[in-house]
Amino acid sequence: MIATIVHTDELLQTIAASVVAGIGVTFAFSVGIWGAGQFAELNRAGRPAAATAALVVGGLALAGVAAAIVIGIIVMTSK
Amino acid sequence: MDNDLVLWIVVATALAFDFTNGFHDTANAVATSISTRAMSPRVAVTLAAILNFVGAFLSLAVAATIATGIVQADMVTLEIVFSGLIGAISWNLLTWYFGLPSSSSHALIGGVVGSAVAAVGVDAVIAEGLVGKVLIPAVVAPVLAFLVAGIAIGVSYRVVGKQRPGIVSRGYRYGQILSGGLLALAHGTNDAQKTMGIITLALIANGNLGPEADPPFWVIASAAAAIALGTYSGGWRIIKTTGTRIIKMDAAQGFSAQGAGAAVILSSTHFGFPLSTTHVINGGVMGSGAAKRLSAVRWGVAGNIFVAWLLTLPAAATIGGLTYGFTRIFGTGALGPVIVTLMALSLVAAAFTRRARRGAPVEAAGA
Repeated sequence: MIATIVHTDELLQTIAASVVAGIGVTFAFSVGIWGAGQFAELNRAGRPAAATAALVVGGLALAGVAAAIVIGIIVMTSK
Repeated sequence: MDNDLVLWIVVATALAFDFTNGFHDTANAVATSISTRAMSPRVAVTLAAILNFVGAFLSLAVAATIATGIVQADMVTLEIVFSGLIGAISWNLLTWYFGLPSSSSHALIGGVVGSAVAAVGVDAVIAEGLVGKVLIPAVVAPVLAFLVAGIAIGVSYRVVGKQRPGIVSRGYRYGQILSGGLLALAHGTNDAQKTMGIITLALIANGNLGPEADPPFWVIASAAAAIALGTYSGGWRIIKTTGTRIIKMDAAQGFSAQGAGAAVILSSTHFGFPLSTTHVINGGVMGSGAAKRLSAVRWGVAGNIFVAWLLTLPAAATIGGLTYGFTRIFGTGALGPVIVTLMALSLVAAAFTRRARRGAPVEAAGA
């Protein structure tokens, strides 16, 4: 009875999706900012290889953010 | 003939509600972007309006919940839908007048439930839908946004903690264009559907649509346009409350709050939960503030908002029920709704005039 009223399954999926998307996207975006910051810092320190590596990590993280948003919207519109 | 007139009054009232919803809830999408100066107020509000419009076309799950999942569509009449809308609009305007970010969605649901109970009795309410789709998500969603935003801001401070403040601040400000845009999209998706659901319910009640019908395209397009116009008009008083009075936030906190809000609203919309976007973003704002420092949250303001949340469903239900009773004094024809509409318009005009005389509520463009 309670399970029928509460829509437990849908509620749990909502919670899981919100946690993964909300925290995951913020984490990935922060890594993007970290990459940009490290790139500038390491370049100034004369370490171009490490700077490039940081930039690549940051770029991949930002690409992850974009992918998460696109996937989210596709899931939204596909129901 | 009378029924058609009442139907058009209901459609116009629903679109007016949608406009006030956009007007009232602009703050949800843009307040944190404005308060951290990620965007100028006018740019933020314009972006939010456009994305509200686009978002309205993304899904119909919430519209289905409102149209057929909360009150028994076969027991509902046009007068019930009309009275519910008046209950919701009245409560929205009252809370707007006092600058409180209460929930337009709960006002709408409360108004319709109140007028349905006044007209038919408690049998008109689908308890399972009201509890499972509205009341439980109403409690879970802001708490979830609070926790997600709190954890997210902790994670982001940890990742960027040793970077130069300039680049971090600039980065999150750019990020807020994205997160604010997503939140506006989410707002349009969830909130515009409530109006679509109400108009669909009215069309079902009037026999224009079958009991399980989806909203016709003209309903979707007009609801999208009304919420976008309302958003563009902007609710500056509420922007100020959400953006600066709950916490003074930095760009990272704004990004986390908006990201958490968008994630919660979009995933809830997917399952047809008609959430309060106001509750969710305020939960996110408080979470991102409390994670940094509990005393950063102005709990007094948060308490006022909480009280407005608690009052919204019963207050809108009461106004909806009373409006139904008043409408029936004039019989079952169009006279009651016409008189109530004229009275409501007079009250709206009086509220705007009084508010305008007190001066601009917040420094708007360019602030």
